[in-house]
Amino acid sequence: MFTEVLVALLIGGLIFFLVQRSRTQVLKAEDGWWGAGAPPDGGEDATIRPFKVTSSDEELEDLYRRIDQTRPVPSLEDSQFNYGFNSQYLQKVVSYWRNDFDWRRQVDKLNRYPHFRTNIEGIDIHYLHVKPKKVPEGSTAIPLIMVHGWPGSFYEFYGLIPLLTEPSDPQDLVFEVVCPSIPGYGFSEAPHKKGFDSVCAAHVFHKLMKRLGFQKFYAHGGDWGWLVTTNMAQLEPEIVKGLHVNFAPPSKPGLSMTLSIMLGRRFPKMFGFTDMDIQRLYPRMEKLVVEPIKESGYMHIQATKPDTVGRGLNDSPVGLAAYILEKFSTWTSHDFRNLEDGGLTRKFSLDDLLTNVMIYWTSGCIVSSMRFYKENFGKGLYQPHSKMPVYVPTGFACFPDELMHTPKLWVEQKYHKLVTFTAMARGGHFAAMEEPQLMAEDIQNFTKTVEKKK
Amino acid sequence: MQRLHLLKGAFCGLAAFQQQLLIGSAVAAGGILLHMVLKRKQVKSIPLGEGWWGAGKKPLSEDDTIYPFKVQTSDEEIADLHERIDRTRYTDPLEDSCFQYGFNSTYLKTVVSYWRHTFDWKKQVEVLNQYPHFKTKIEGLDVHYVHVRPPHRENQKVVPLMLVHGWPGSFYEFYKMLPLLTENQDGLVFEVICPSIPGYGFSEAPHKQGFDSLAAARIFLTLMERLGFSQFYLQGGDWGSLITTNMAQMKPLCVKGLHLNMFMSTRGIKVMLSLMIGPYLPFLVGFSREDVRRLFPFFEKNVWDILRETGYLHIQATKPDTVGCGVNDSPVGLAAYLLEKFSSWTDLRNRDLVDGGLERKFSLDEVLTIVMIYWTTGSIVSSMRFYKENVKGNPDNRVDAKTGIFVPTGLAAFPGELLHCPKSLAQIRYRNIYSYTFMPRGGHFAAFEEPQLLANDLVQFVKKVEKF
Repeated sequence: MFTEVLVALLIGGLIFFLVQRSRTQVLKAEDGWWGAGAPPDGGEDATIRPFKVTSSDEELEDLYRRIDQTRPVPSLEDSQFNYGFNSQYLQKVVSYWRNDFDWRRQVDKLNRYPHFRTNIEGIDIHYLHVKPKKVPEGSTAIPLIMVHGWPGSFYEFYGLIPLLTEPSDPQDLVFEVVCPSIPGYGFSEAPHKKGFDSVCAAHVFHKLMKRLGFQKFYAHGGDWGWLVTTNMAQLEPEIVKGLHVNFAPPSKPGLSMTLSIMLGRRFPKMFGFTDMDIQRLYPRMEKLVVEPIKESGYMHIQATKPDTVGRGLNDSPVGLAAYILEKFSTWTSHDFRNLEDGGLTRKFSLDDLLTNVMIYWTSGCIVSSMRFYKENFGKGLYQPHSKMPVYVPTGFACFPDELMHTPKLWVEQKYHKLVTFTAMARGGHFAAMEEPQLMAEDIQNFTKTVEKKK
Repeated sequence: MQRLHLLKGAFCGLAAFQQQLLIGSAVAAGGILLHMVLKRKQVKSIPLGEGWWGAGKKPLSEDDTIYPFKVQTSDEEIADLHERIDRTRYTDPLEDSCFQYGFNSTYLKTVVSYWRHTFDWKKQVEVLNQYPHFKTKIEGLDVHYVHVRPPHRENQKVVPLMLVHGWPGSFYEFYKMLPLLTENQDGLVFEVICPSIPGYGFSEAPHKQGFDSLAAARIFLTLMERLGFSQFYLQGGDWGSLITTNMAQMKPLCVKGLHLNMFMSTRGIKVMLSLMIGPYLPFLVGFSREDVRRLFPFFEKNVWDILRETGYLHIQATKPDTVGCGVNDSPVGLAAYLLEKFSSWTDLRNRDLVDGGLERKFSLDEVLTIVMIYWTTGSIVSSMRFYKENVKGNPDNRVDAKTGIFVPTGLAAFPGELLHCPKSLAQIRYRNIYSYTFMPRGGHFAAFEEPQLLANDLVQFVKKVEKF
């Protein structure tokens, strides 16, 4: 009698334990309302309206007048980019902007892909929808949502999109790409209420994909896009077939991560550290504390006083350009801080860089783009989503000059189904814009792996 | 008496060499003790160092004449300002956000409307010029200062005093205090020198890297010397507090007294212990009840609030050229950036007010004059660089952080100041505190907000030192 009860208890306990483990945590989100004032009585307007980027003579004249009225302050002798964007080099960029940059031609380039807007939860969401022209017999295009970050925009993906929708290799998969702007960025309306964080953005984008008729899709993101797509995977793991990211800073230090920081240099094999991992993580104080502090001033002020810091940038195009392009220099490679020209045009063309700046300028969205930092950090560092793992198949592209280096061990801490982890040959934070070919290859590789496994 | 006889007997009983050894050890011990006593009394100072901050190469000789200077403006300057203001592109604030996301855009429009239509810069320039201004070249830079001589000098003790401002302030913050210090007739009156830190307002900005508070301190000491003052008092808050402290550390014999309205202690075991034990047994660590009220709850008041308010410090200490660029083109952007501080640092509760409580303690004319000084001189970028220059390397390891301050010191603790420092913690660095006052009201911009209170405290401190 006694033994039977004991065995029953043991089996019961085992079953309970197994059930607990397999029960995955799901993130919850509620419907929000982000429009001005109170929500209207009637239902939501779910129409999808085609959208074209436009410009006008007044807009350009206003821009040029403000550029001409810039009051430059010379940088200190021999300071290069160590105090921020070098003033002397800024004059050269501005001169190109004023005299050679052709915004109308860039607008035509932007309009090369079809743009749309639709109202979700009270705000107009802008997105690109690129359908492939040719799909191989017997297969369908794979739906993929790509989300940008700050200070980027949907435009960062322009080099990548054709490689995914019209791949040259017949063995490659063909994608149907949706590329939205995060609310408050570019041509997406900014939220009018407080509290619009990455989970809210993820919820809105899920509604978008549903509205476009996608039952399941893949997601790709870097910078904020990484967090928004991760949240999408946490909100509806059944719908997100695969998640591909190139940036994944750990949200909370777990035991294995802490141990690996302390002992990783001595016992790299134990933690799966490669040579590159060692090089990018040590010396610890410098790489994990001092460097991030040197580069996170913008994050600190944007997470606390976005309306103050963004105020002047919305009036001064040159100030805006300096603020945004400094990141395109330093986050592509930290060494660029010691160059007179910040190495800005080594990986990017001025046309592409200025087009991105113009998206922020013409839409006047710099303040709302900065508020996203306060909404995400202001509630405290440990949100429910940061403590929850991700169960969706994930691919991570590890670029050598990314801001925060994450070895495989750390990525696995959060992404429990890490399918591919690729050490990329070159590239920094703006990987999609800097190395579209490499990124496309990795997305192809990842998606093929997931598709095969099914 | 008997014991003495016994000792004398024992001594004489010793062998000769033993007696010598005993005498020798006694002398040695006495000598060591004397040395230790003398060393403790000896005032430590920090080296002056040297520098040159002009453009290009240093010339063989420098012009040290003093030139009178007048603040000027022009119609073009004002028209340009108005035109830029008219072209501001506002962004609506989030509903119900008051000043929590920074300077509220709706209230900003009110301030800017006043600035555009009512504020009279020409009249303010005359206000600025009511005291005589001068410029003189030191270490390659034109240093600007205001020099106020007291009108009634007979039968009075005239005491020289230098007032040093901070960020985002200027010499103008002291204007309301000047009459209170220079026009008394009760026996003690001040002759005031009010400089602008190089890179701020009308002082030329350094062209070379490395211009930190030690360099500013040295330049201001040179200024006092050039003006013929061999001994003087100093008063400062914000950066002014650090610079005047450095001045007292460099030439303690010249600084008769140091008065500060912002001061910090060092880190270290004593501080940590005090902060841990303080809330429970304040008397044990030298905290008064008022100290406890102002310091705790520690995390909320000192850590979270500091984090929330120091974004500007972080970005200015790392990328001053980037963040300063835009605000130098946009007067409204500059106003929002600077005036946010005049709101939050006067009282942190102002963040929950729709108008940031800005006009409760200051008039729009006053704060806009400060903004105009930054605007017309285009000095916002160089003013921000000062943060980076002072944070370079490890500031805790800098020579001035490891050296104490031995000149008579007066500390005025204002309740709205960002970081409260009790006397017991201040004493770790400031070894000669003559007065420590809990001020009844006032925040970070004490001289600007409560000139009478600050002047009173300064005067009582100086009288104590002068044994008046």
